[in-house]
Amino acid sequence: MCTVACHNAGVTTDRSPGPMAGAAPAGQSLVVAQNVSKAYRGHSALHDATFTIEPGITGLLGANGAGKTTLLGMIIGLHSVTGGSLQVLGHDPWSAGTSVRERLGYAPEHHTLPPDLKAADFVRHVAELHGLPKQEAQTRASDALWLVGLGEERFRPMGTMSTGQRQRVKLAQAIAHDPELVLLDEPTDGLDPIQRDAMLDLIAGIAKDFGINVILSSHLLDEVERICDAAVIIGDGHTLASGSLTSLMGSSSGVHVEFDGSPANLESAFAALRNGGFVVTGEGRRAIVEAPSADHDADLVFGAVRDAAVDHGCGIARLSRKGRSLEDIFLEETFTPTGVPQ
Amino acid sequence: MSTNENGTAQIFDQGYRRYDGPRSGVGGSIRTLVTHSMRDALGLGRLTRHKVFPFATVIAAFLPAIAFIGVAALLPDDLEDFLPSYAEYYGFVIAAIFLFAGFVAPELLCKDRRTGLLGVYLASPLNRPLYLLGKSIAVLLLMLLVTLGPPLLMLIAYSLESRGPSGISDWLTTLFHVLLSSLTMGSLFAAVALAVASVTDRAAVATATVLALFPGSAIVSDILVQEADLSGWYRLFNLPGMARELVFRIHGEFGLWNASGDPSTLALVGAWAFWTFGSLAFVWSRYRKLLVRR
Repeated sequence: MCTVACHNAGVTTDRSPGPMAGAAPAGQSLVVAQNVSKAYRGHSALHDATFTIEPGITGLLGANGAGKTTLLGMIIGLHSVTGGSLQVLGHDPWSAGTSVRERLGYAPEHHTLPPDLKAADFVRHVAELHGLPKQEAQTRASDALWLVGLGEERFRPMGTMSTGQRQRVKLAQAIAHDPELVLLDEPTDGLDPIQRDAMLDLIAGIAKDFGINVILSSHLLDEVERICDAAVIIGDGHTLASGSLTSLMGSSSGVHVEFDGSPANLESAFAALRNGGFVVTGEGRRAIVEAPSADHDADLVFGAVRDAAVDHGCGIARLSRKGRSLEDIFLEETFTPTGVPQ
Repeated sequence: MSTNENGTAQIFDQGYRRYDGPRSGVGGSIRTLVTHSMRDALGLGRLTRHKVFPFATVIAAFLPAIAFIGVAALLPDDLEDFLPSYAEYYGFVIAAIFLFAGFVAPELLCKDRRTGLLGVYLASPLNRPLYLLGKSIAVLLLMLLVTLGPPLLMLIAYSLESRGPSGISDWLTTLFHVLLSSLTMGSLFAAVALAVASVTDRAAVATATVLALFPGSAIVSDILVQEADLSGWYRLFNLPGMARELVFRIHGEFGLWNASGDPSTLALVGAWAFWTFGSLAFVWSRYRKLLVRR
């Protein structure tokens, strides 16, 4: 609760955001998938997906048809798993679906909400569906709509709202009942760049200020890079990669290097690295140096750069690990080096 | 701003905050679904144009009852046989019942699928059976507005005019008959309308189908029995006729199907159960495999 207490001697402010990371018990993963498979009438939508989603904001990435929607459906408890095991908030969402869904919020991808229903009525109704008493649901519906920037518009029928406003209504209904985990399916779909930035800021704020955990399903990699703490990348029904963004994006064997020295020394240092089998790309003093093969780790490159600098009389102005973007990871995991889909 | 007992002022910022109060569970979710669905179908909380049709239909169902109550107050006692019985009353309002069933069930089922609201419902504590239970209760309660409301009003008004059943025992028996009759009518029409509404996402198509199905079943059945001279058992395909005949027999009155070869009461009950529960089973079979848009 945001309470400002004004004392006689002065003003003290207590803006406690509440327990961080939702009400998930400390140390408990939000979603644990072990070799999860799902088949529909012989068609395999997901197979052997293994990952863990920890508290925070997690991006669920994948191309259209990759299995994201199937996975969301299983997390909500709408579909049973065909193989493996899935735990959401410590429970099997299929057998304990009702109690799990009470603690979840969900914003669907589509925009066709009931057109003649007022936003406040819709959000209140969803909050009541999740078990809130009527008066509390009404208050929280207003609060949630104010939070997403629709306070003045809350009594408008949703059919008269723009796509951006409807996306905000969907977010409001997903959080009005104070869920532990919110699943947002393509929350920036149909938004212009400014609206998109605002929506991403909102989602980040909800997680940061109120400790609500978020799973953000998207096919836009930069969105996930911008606000997520972790990502699960799904491709063709498989888990291609998962983990924190720090671990995913920092696992390149390349390094950024900036030498300091005469042009001749720079040239000889880079030539030495090339002769050692390293891939050097760049111009002038700056370059990216990568190991001869992906099997080598970055330490080998760091050592080679250091040795080249010493041997050829160069100073090192900058030396850092080359991060990979999610796009790099996605392309690496999806395609072979020759560009053929795996 | 308010002042607490320590003399210090406090400002409460009424923004979004965490909630750790009680939650009502699945029962509360179903109750909310029923209430919201009923309000939605009646157009409450919606634009005026959404209220016109449901209220006009309900008024049409009540108007004859109000007229009969007024006439009963003016008629001398020896002419009260001219007033219709509780069972006969349905003959005056059967069209309103068709219209209401044809409007309500598609409004409650088709719209949720077309607007994707079904996906939101199924992401709440409700699952498919509970969702259908809530919707069925809502449709039945709405149907009772037109099947129970008018005869109950007549019973109460007649009693106040001293034309009702004599004695508490008769009165309770009549009340029981009225309740059972309205449930029989309401549940049959609600279930069949729900079955039709489960087939298409377009409410207008479902409404037109329901409005064609009820009188259509009566026409086909009458052709088979009266024109083609087939067995009276084919009357069991006559949905409104079958329901009305059952209501006559609940009230212990002579109905319309008294010829030899016409269905027995047991057959009527069986047919009613078949159509009602068969329709609900059909709805479940549709929703069990329904791919929910999310």
